[in-house]
Amino acid sequence: MAENQEPRIGVFICHCGTNIAGSLDVNAVMEYARSLPNVVVADEYQYMCSTPGQNKIIDAEKDYDLTGVVVAACSPRLHEPTFRTATAEGGLNKFRFEMANIRDQNSWVHMHDWEGATEKAKDQVRIAVAKARLLEDLQPKSVPVEHAAMVVGAGVGGMQAALDLANAGIKTYLVEKDPTIGGRMSQLDKTFPTLDCSQCILTPKMVDAGRHPNIILETYTEVENVEGYIGNFDITLRKKARGTRDGAEMVAAGLEGSGCNGCGDCASVCPVIKPNPFEMGMAPRKAIYIYHPQVMPLQYTIDFDACVKCGLCKDICGTEKNAIDLEMTDSLEKVKVGCVILATGYDLIPIEDKTEWGYRRYENVITGLEFERLICASGPTGGHLIRPSDGETPMKVGFVLCAGSRDNTGGVGKPYCSRFCCMYSLKHAHQIMEKIPGAVPYLFYMDIRSFGKMYEEFYYRIQNEGAKFIRGRVAAIEEDPITKNLYVQTEDTLLGRPVNVECNLVVLAAAIQPKPDAERIRQMFGVSKSQDGWYLEAHPKLNPCGTTTAGIFLAGVCQGPKDIPDTVAQAEGAASAASIPIHQGEVQLEPYFAQCVEDLCAGCGMCVPQCPYGALSLIQKDDRQVMTVTEAKCKGCGTCGGFCPGGAIRMQHFTSPQICAQIDSFLLNPLGGEE
Amino acid sequence: MAVEKNYGNPELESRLKDTNYYTSDSNKDFSDRVRELSGTISHMCFQCGTCTGSCPSAPRSSYRIRKFMRRAVLGLEDEALTDPDLWLCTTCYSCSDRCPRDILPTDVIMAMRNLAFERDIVPRNFLKTVQLIYNTGHGVPNNDVNRAAREKLGLPRDPPTTHSYPEYIEGIQKIIDHYHLKENADRILAEGE
Ligand SMILES: Cc1cc2nc3c(=O)[nH]c(=O)nc-3n(C[C@H](O)[C@H](O)[C@H](O)COP(=O)(O)OP(=O)(O)OC[C@H]3O[C@@H](n4cnc5c(N)ncnc54)[C@H](O)[C@@H]3O)c2cc1C
Ligand code: SF4
Ligand code: SF4
Ligand code: SF4
Ligand code: SF4
Repeated sequence: MAENQEPRIGVFICHCGTNIAGSLDVNAVMEYARSLPNVVVADEYQYMCSTPGQNKIIDAEKDYDLTGVVVAACSPRLHEPTFRTATAEGGLNKFRFEMANIRDQNSWVHMHDWEGATEKAKDQVRIAVAKARLLEDLQPKSVPVEHAAMVVGAGVGGMQAALDLANAGIKTYLVEKDPTIGGRMSQLDKTFPTLDCSQCILTPKMVDAGRHPNIILETYTEVENVEGYIGNFDITLRKKARGTRDGAEMVAAGLEGSGCNGCGDCASVCPVIKPNPFEMGMAPRKAIYIYHPQVMPLQYTIDFDACVKCGLCKDICGTEKNAIDLEMTDSLEKVKVGCVILATGYDLIPIEDKTEWGYRRYENVITGLEFERLICASGPTGGHLIRPSDGETPMKVGFVLCAGSRDNTGGVGKPYCSRFCCMYSLKHAHQIMEKIPGAVPYLFYMDIRSFGKMYEEFYYRIQNEGAKFIRGRVAAIEEDPITKNLYVQTEDTLLGRPVNVECNLVVLAAAIQPKPDAERIRQMFGVSKSQDGWYLEAHPKLNPCGTTTAGIFLAGVCQGPKDIPDTVAQAEGAASAASIPIHQGEVQLEPYFAQCVEDLCAGCGMCVPQCPYGALSLIQKDDRQVMTVTEAKCKGCGTCGGFCPGGAIRMQHFTSPQICAQIDSFLLNPLGGEE
Repeated sequence: MAVEKNYGNPELESRLKDTNYYTSDSNKDFSDRVRELSGTISHMCFQCGTCTGSCPSAPRSSYRIRKFMRRAVLGLEDEALTDPDLWLCTTCYSCSDRCPRDILPTDVIMAMRNLAFERDIVPRNFLKTVQLIYNTGHGVPNNDVNRAAREKLGLPRDPPTTHSYPEYIEGIQKIIDHYHLKENADRILAEGE
């Protein structure tokens, strides 16, 4: 297309079935479009996104020698890529396309206002044409992608994602803040609905992740700082002072000795006793500790907040191993990766804040996670389920489902379904009937949501084994101060009668929430969150592993409640998505970045701190300072462009003349915006 | 509406009565009015039963607050307003404190009581309470047993209410008259004689 040629615009109105055509007059909008300046062709079609619809664009570009294409249809989120491709196929630069959103922003919201919606569609088309007249050719930039990835959080989700990436030949940093990988799944006894021993199916994965030549395990490590953009993330890790070194670290530090081999001699002499968080505080650990025997890596860690630096451990560890360093401090490490997967998991809500259920007030009210440890053969009681108050075996156990889930009351209540509590409560019911002959579980539920493969069958089985199901949400729990038995009050809504069940132990299926640290991680990586604080996927249906920040992906519960099968499936999806740009070796960036018009730039540098993404800097050029944009970092937000006092910043695809033309055309009365 | 069979035998008729719920039993305006008067989202009730489970009235009576919530959802006006259980709520607000849907069931009951009153459906003892308040300023006026007990505790024989300040009864009466409460109570009681 020749320079300075008079613009020639084609307009295409989509019916979207009755989505648009059912609420406004498509033909009237088309006729109106024909009357607009520079519009040389206007057409309409049932489904513009279909092949015949797209062919209309391609043909018109040739037949009418178009310089710009406008489609009035659904939304750019859905079909901008489709129509851009069609525009390019017709021979134009793909950025010479503009969309008028007459469905999502018009027919759907003004469904019962035929006249009004038709007029609004005319406005929208007129505005789009005004911009289309000023569109110009743009070229996407491509940047190289580092052949490495990072996974943050090493629960089952993070481990799976790291293993997939590593098996695809990608060097992967697996960063875990705790001293061992494994996450919540290693705290579980058995897993529904197959009742596999959780640790048994998890340890092989932990070992694989620990031994994989492409996985660099960074345990007891946190993300300190993130810079860069897709393909080129520069991440600073804080390796927390562990107090011990393994063999490799000994060599790296140039020290004599074979390093920690996990013998545990140190812990046997350590005089300081603390609760073990892995056992939900129900078992002790020393100041120098491991969580459990299957930890990966098998290396002891010193809790420096508790350690009194008596040196006993160092003495017994001996000079041959020389593993302990009581003066160790945190160290920082910088790594460069192309993509990142977040898999930071979840916590239980502080269920004690629902005072009516008495958690932490009544000894025999426990949470599901505490139950997992108490029923687990390697747990604090060797797998004997006992009441915390007196060590007796409970014969009637109440399970309170939806403890804080599906609850709109704010504060501690969570409006969403935590998705695995029904199933693990069924599992818990089975476990007590199996381990304690004659024990009766009472499940207080609102609905049993057994939606997965073989889940409903599992429900059937537990019902058949003798579990009692009472349909009613628990209103309150009261304790008999002498027997420490608990009275669970609810309405049996199916009978329509209040019930008051005396139980020896009550297990709360507490709702889950994001980790306290999730907010900090999210902000560092520039990921959005949903209302409840879970990480927000790019699209709930069509892009459930991606985020709106290119190169950052999500796996597991950090994105929203899910059980192990769903976590693993999403992790595999995230790993696959993350490996695409890495294997391609380069990514294309939308050319929406800011440009410095150097003739106008005064080099004042005032824009530099305005950019939220750190994309701007001053450089020396021909004896003077001018601003420059790191295009790969710029997200095209326009903060700088709106700010620059000299008007030296030009926003590609959203230039001031383009925006002024849109405003003028909306007001129908051109105000004569500056060119 | 229940289907009439008509066998010409009232006893058989009542035993074979159609107990289906038909959508025509519902009056949508009822749900709307309850919502409007109560200022709470009764139509969002998902029947978890927390309210009944919390209710001090429920274990000792046939009163199930959850059922009234259901009637509000479905617009079962006659069923709700003619049920004598409507008057068994103590307005303690336990249910409202705990409802996970953040509904105020107590206020739903209050709204239904107002609607029942519009149709003159009020238990006699409630109406008699109105009369007592009108005449004495008290729902439960002081009596000699009480007075003796108060004296024993070192309190004045009468509390510092209209019992001690009868001149304020007139004010209370003004308020009650404004709502035609006494007038209506008298009328309904008289009609029931
Ligand atoms: C009582 C109970 C019983 C359950 N039973 C079953 C069952 O039988 N079957 C089933 O399918 N599911 C079950 N589940 C659900 C299961 O626990 C989860 O689906 C699964 O653990 C999710 O894995 P994840 O990797 O997403 O998160 P997590 O297991 O929570 O792992 C997250 C990891 O990230 C780490 N991390 C967090 N923040 C950071 C950070 N800032 N930096 C570095 N690392 C970080 C954490 O330390 C942790 O290791 C149960 C859940 C509960 C509560
Ligand atoms: S130095 Fe610290 S970790 Fe070592 S034995 Fe003493 S208290 Fe325990
Ligand atoms: S457009 Fe936004 S992201 Fe780009 S340089 Fe300007 S301020 Fe930064
Ligand atoms: S507690 Fe609330 S949601 Fe539950 S049944 Fe009662 S009114 Fe409905
Ligand atoms: S307010 Fe009424 S319905 Fe609610 S718990 Fe109290 S007595 Fe029961």
